[in-house]
Amino acid sequence: MAGLCGKLRMYLEFSRISFQRAAAYRFEAWMRLFSNVVFLFMWGFIWYGLYMDRDSVSGVTFQSVFSYVLISQMLQGIHSAGTPLWEIQEKVRSGDIVTEIIRPYDYPTRLLFADLGSIAFYFLTAIFPLYSVIFLIFRPLIPTSPEQWFLFFLSVVLGYLIRYFIELTFGLFTFWLIETGGVEDIFYFAISLFSGATIPLWFFPGWLNTLARYLPFQGIYFVPNAIFVGELGGTELFSALTVQLFWVAVSFLILRFVWYKAGKKIVGQGG
Amino acid sequence: MARSIYNALRIYWYMVEASIRAQMQYSYAFIMNILGWMMHYTGMAITMWVLLYSFQALNGWVYWELIFLFALSVLSWSICTIFFFHFRKLDVHIVQGTFDRFLVRPISPFFHFMALKFDVGALGQLFFSIGAFILAYIKLSLHWSWAEWLVFLGAVIGGTLIQGGMLVLISTIAFYTTRSERVFWVLIFPFRNLINYPLTIFPKAMQMFITFVLPFAFVNYLPALILLDKADPVFPGFWGSLSIFVGILFFWFSYRVWQKGVDRYNSTGS
Amino acid sequence: MITVKNISKIFYINKRQEGMLGAIRSMFFREYIEKIAVNDISFSISPGEIVGYIGPNGAGKSTTIKMLTGILVPTSGEIRVNGVIPYRERQKNARQIGVVFGQRTQLWGDLPTVDSFELLKQIYQIPEKKYRKNLETFTEILGLDEFLNTPVRQLSLGQRMRADIAASLLHDPAVLFLDEPTIGLDVVAKDRMRKFIREVNKERGVTVILTTHDMSDIEKLCKRMILIDKGKIMYDGELAKIKEVFGRDRILTIDFEGDVPFLEKGVQLIRSEGNRKWLKFNLEEISTAQLLAEIAKKNEIKDFIIQEPEIDYIIRKIYERGL
Repeated sequence: MAGLCGKLRMYLEFSRISFQRAAAYRFEAWMRLFSNVVFLFMWGFIWYGLYMDRDSVSGVTFQSVFSYVLISQMLQGIHSAGTPLWEIQEKVRSGDIVTEIIRPYDYPTRLLFADLGSIAFYFLTAIFPLYSVIFLIFRPLIPTSPEQWFLFFLSVVLGYLIRYFIELTFGLFTFWLIETGGVEDIFYFAISLFSGATIPLWFFPGWLNTLARYLPFQGIYFVPNAIFVGELGGTELFSALTVQLFWVAVSFLILRFVWYKAGKKIVGQGG
Repeated sequence: MARSIYNALRIYWYMVEASIRAQMQYSYAFIMNILGWMMHYTGMAITMWVLLYSFQALNGWVYWELIFLFALSVLSWSICTIFFFHFRKLDVHIVQGTFDRFLVRPISPFFHFMALKFDVGALGQLFFSIGAFILAYIKLSLHWSWAEWLVFLGAVIGGTLIQGGMLVLISTIAFYTTRSERVFWVLIFPFRNLINYPLTIFPKAMQMFITFVLPFAFVNYLPALILLDKADPVFPGFWGSLSIFVGILFFWFSYRVWQKGVDRYNSTGS
Repeated sequence: MITVKNISKIFYINKRQEGMLGAIRSMFFREYIEKIAVNDISFSISPGEIVGYIGPNGAGKSTTIKMLTGILVPTSGEIRVNGVIPYRERQKNARQIGVVFGQRTQLWGDLPTVDSFELLKQIYQIPEKKYRKNLETFTEILGLDEFLNTPVRQLSLGQRMRADIAASLLHDPAVLFLDEPTIGLDVVAKDRMRKFIREVNKERGVTVILTTHDMSDIEKLCKRMILIDKGKIMYDGELAKIKEVFGRDRILTIDFEGDVPFLEKGVQLIRSEGNRKWLKFNLEEISTAQLLAEIAKKNEIKDFIIQEPEIDYIIRKIYERGL
């Protein structure tokens, strides 16, 4: 137990360091925030334009979709502060990954905690103030009960882990593929469409909707967003959370497996 | 004057040829790059299709009209990236000090830097946009007169200059903050997404902004009004034929700002 | 050839703020510190001279070179290179100077070396005849033919430096600026480089200014040296003079057989680590041979090294004693 505490303290130290270091990248942070707002603006008006002269489409009101876009954009803002893909690709290509492996910590865990540090920083200084104002101005739908808030937060955390594990796994493929060009673009496309980041799954053609429900990506944004705006409730909500949990477990196992294989490859070839 | 332009072109050609040869050394990466860009844009077109599936039209624009708008912007973008895409990486040259070499040579640093790379990877976008354009032209059963083809040509050249100017303008930030690549991705990327949709869905202030400040509207929306025979409540139809002039003006402005950036670099270094 | 009058260069650097709160605060506010990189420097260099511009890291060497080549504009003061103000007429200045930065190449990494030369021929508009002649000469002296068709990024450091210096001379510049031309090179490559620089200076009458922190570069190449530290000139004059004053100290590192107590007149024990001793002595007082003979009489010597004082040591000495 004491060992576990010590380990946690060490990993939290990585969070603290990257929290402090985050200020050095304030320029990037402002830029990211700007880009986030432009996309919020864009999607807000696209949905507004689509809903023109219509009250509800596929049984969903504009108010719901607008709230969905708001919370989705906020979550995407948070996610954007921790992107392990670039870092791990860089480390693999430069060969620095070897030094990470010989250190007495688990590299994927370290990376996760470091990113949590920069996310905390970005959330406190940029996302939270900005979206507080936006929420006060536009008064979107928000969770109406403490339970709904709790389930939303739970779902957000699960969603983050799913994306994190998948992205890290993908990043590790750099070990086997020198140039990921085309594959990377398919990967990003899959995430952006099937996660429901910009288009809620409700509006998908039937067969695509079914397909999306079987993929892990919907757990990243669609589930938390839908819980937030109250479009997911009752047994549907619990089955959605269960599916999320399932994908967290599966993507975690895949990550560990790929990481194990990558480790063997490094040792086997001496980097 | 004529002689110095001839000389400049000759130097440019020499460097461009060298750059192409250098890129061809990595043929696998080269093909993956082209493939990657095609995937990227195809993904965006599919997303648009999903978006319109339940709604059929966005403010009077149907799916293939949106694809036309999209293809027009990607077409001029792909041409401009051939010449200017590496400008986004100016920050690397400044941080590593390799920009110095452009300042100790007897030719214009802008010109020298521009000739550094001739980005053949942009072919992926070019192929996509031409394909998408032809499909949209057929699906919308368009039959243009020569005047309309002229507007189209003006839009492609103007759009190339406008977006090229944008890349040059963004790279200038590197002289002040030693960062440009990230700025490029977070600034240009959202705006290029924005102009894939008809301008009318956005509020007036934004319409004015992307018409008069960052003149993206001249890249695709305004010419598309003429080419698709649509009307806009604010902008007169003929504005779409002005793209080429706006392009020249904007590029010239960006070029001047870049020169100011070099002056600034001269006084601060990296 | 070159006149520098009272130039200074001031930079403004971002200040880092400490702690978690400092991190949050610097998201919104920034503070700057002023750094004077070059502080009121004047000198002039005549045609045909080779001048060594030396000092420790961060002394202001590179900043001065950048001002002389037109890359940086001085905060105050005036510079003329062959009558041209470099930062005002950069392109005109570029035609009459050659520049080599030891740490980074001026060539196109992905291209064969000879292609870089061809490109430079176009850029500098070098007439075909002159280009051929220069390329032949340099190929012969520097042995470029062994790698002319290899891409620059695959060259060894020594080869790359040879290619770089040849490239900088293709257009027959009047002045050659060399920023750390021997950094990272092995002894043989260093020697070759020095020989070439001497030859270029003698045969072609090129004025050479080189920065280095390797004292032997200066010894082998320059009559005159300008010593700079913290942005100020500490010494400008003949190398011989400074060597007379400070260059007579030597450090002898010696390994003894077994542990021996050490006592020798006029010799200072500056460090001791088991059987290894570091001794400082002055050539004025005792010659190396004498000292070694004295020591060998009483002790068994296993191994020894004699070192000349390094530039940092000389600068420290100048601080302590003045000139």
